[in-house]
Amino acid sequence: MAVDLARKILFHDKLRFVITVSGVAFAVTLVLVQLGLFVGLLDSATITIRKLDSDIWITSKNTPNVDFANDFPESLVNRVRSVPGVQRADNLLVTFMQITLPSGAREGLMVYAMDDFARWKFPWNILSGDVADLRRGKYFLLDESAAGRFGKFGVGDYREILGQRLKIIGLTREARSFTTTPIAFMDYQLAQSLAYQMFSGRTAYIVAKLDPGADTTAALAEIRRRLPFNDVYTRDEWAAASRNYWIDSTGIGLNMYMTVFLGCLVGVVVVAQTLYTMTMEHIREFGTVKAIGGTNLDIYMILAKQAVISAVCGFSLGAAQSYAMKPLMEKVDLKLIMPPEAVAWCFAGTLFLCLASAMISFRKVAKIDPALVFRT
Amino acid sequence: MAVLEAHSITKTFQEGRQAVPVLHGIELTLGVGEIVTLEGPSGSGKTTLLSILGCILTPTSGRVMIEGVAVGDNASAMAGVRKKSIGFVFQQFNLFPSLTARENVEYSLNIKGLKGYEARHEAERVLDDVGLGDRKDFLPRDLSGGQKQRVAVARALAGRSPLILADEPTANLDSHTGAQVLDIFRNLAKKENRALLIVTHDTKVREISDRVLRISDGVLMD
Repeated sequence: MAVDLARKILFHDKLRFVITVSGVAFAVTLVLVQLGLFVGLLDSATITIRKLDSDIWITSKNTPNVDFANDFPESLVNRVRSVPGVQRADNLLVTFMQITLPSGAREGLMVYAMDDFARWKFPWNILSGDVADLRRGKYFLLDESAAGRFGKFGVGDYREILGQRLKIIGLTREARSFTTTPIAFMDYQLAQSLAYQMFSGRTAYIVAKLDPGADTTAALAEIRRRLPFNDVYTRDEWAAASRNYWIDSTGIGLNMYMTVFLGCLVGVVVVAQTLYTMTMEHIREFGTVKAIGGTNLDIYMILAKQAVISAVCGFSLGAAQSYAMKPLMEKVDLKLIMPPEAVAWCFAGTLFLCLASAMISFRKVAKIDPALVFRT
Repeated sequence: MAVLEAHSITKTFQEGRQAVPVLHGIELTLGVGEIVTLEGPSGSGKTTLLSILGCILTPTSGRVMIEGVAVGDNASAMAGVRKKSIGFVFQQFNLFPSLTARENVEYSLNIKGLKGYEARHEAERVLDDVGLGDRKDFLPRDLSGGQKQRVAVARALAGRSPLILADEPTANLDSHTGAQVLDIFRNLAKKENRALLIVTHDTKVREISDRVLRISDGVLMD
């Protein structure tokens, strides 16, 4: 084993090392949390699409995303049901409704309504209650996340939706829209009767499940032929379209990229400045390395190793901080999702940027005159 | 065979538009096991000559030969010669503050290509030779000036470089410590047949030298 001068120099000044690692950790936390919130929001934006057990989504023409549905005749579902390869198809109503709280205040509620939720395995996470009971009266299931906005509630409580009293007969989990509006689930006929002006005889979506082994492309083409005034998507396409709407049509995508950029910038500036200052402070030592026969490459390796150590320590601390923030975010109804591949990319980016920062010192090192060792 | 030969060495520095000649036609030979002192007043060109002989600086004209081989004038060739054939002792010690005495010596051996147990063993051997066997794991900040210079001497001797160049090795030491360091230096250089060139103002260094050279205004005199 060779003497590890890089590590020895880095750890010799512990305060400086702590500052460097903190800088990297801060940048990593900034990037990971922003990325996690972004992914969390996008997850909410498409969670109902991904969880509903359908292969095909039929929307009105140019519907921008799942939350902003437009209506079209509900009878079109029969044309879909008769398409070869379609196992089943149903109408799905998605619309905003107003809920009146016990305090008298009014809030927005996202309502999903179907005839038979069970065969679409929807909602996907039921804490209490039975979706089959929704057909029996003026009932609905409400997501537990609504407690934050609507105040405490429980099964058996009544709430007024669009002027009618409805009973909460069950609770769900994870059902929240992109805008964090809580989601309620109710019977299709009931929802139509509540919003009769818009949805009388009309629906917002048709969802279809294909037979196992059915030709998806052929089924899609046939549905498009039969419903020329609608848009037809596979589940993944519709999820992507809904996701991209929020990224492209609102500032959220740009906001996320800007924060990630700023996080990277903070990291680069902190690491570059620390490594550069460290290089300047150790210039005589690097001159000695050259005088005793070391090359620029030997010194580049020292700087690169210091950058890698800073990156690994800073990333570990930053990632730990980000994961520690998860429960805190959940308390304020925000989802922090950090997919492993995003975390891996963040690590690679940290490593790359720390190494790039070290390169700023390379020029200085290349110019070190070993003769400086003779100067007093 | 001569360890070091310098033929017709001149060096001129450019200061703005003015050329300032520093060395004029230096001829110098250093044999195996020979200890030579180079004296001269400030500004006489001692350090410039030492830098050229140590393959740190290229001469304007003339050539340097180490163990019979002419030194090339590109940076990597010069670094290669420094690595293989030259040990340095500096006035300011130039130890790595974050490395222990042993690691300081071992690191220079690593640079020379010796690693692992061999490097560690060689570092411990030379530290024992300079009387620092019990201070091997001390950081430079915990060593006295004399002990630091002994570590620097050990670093120069480690790896068996045939040529040792020392720049004012006693300048930062009191006379008693300086004498001790010189004694160690002489004994080890002689014992291991190293050629030693010491640049100094200190007249006591003459006592350990086989030959004394003087340099004045860039001209070398016996």
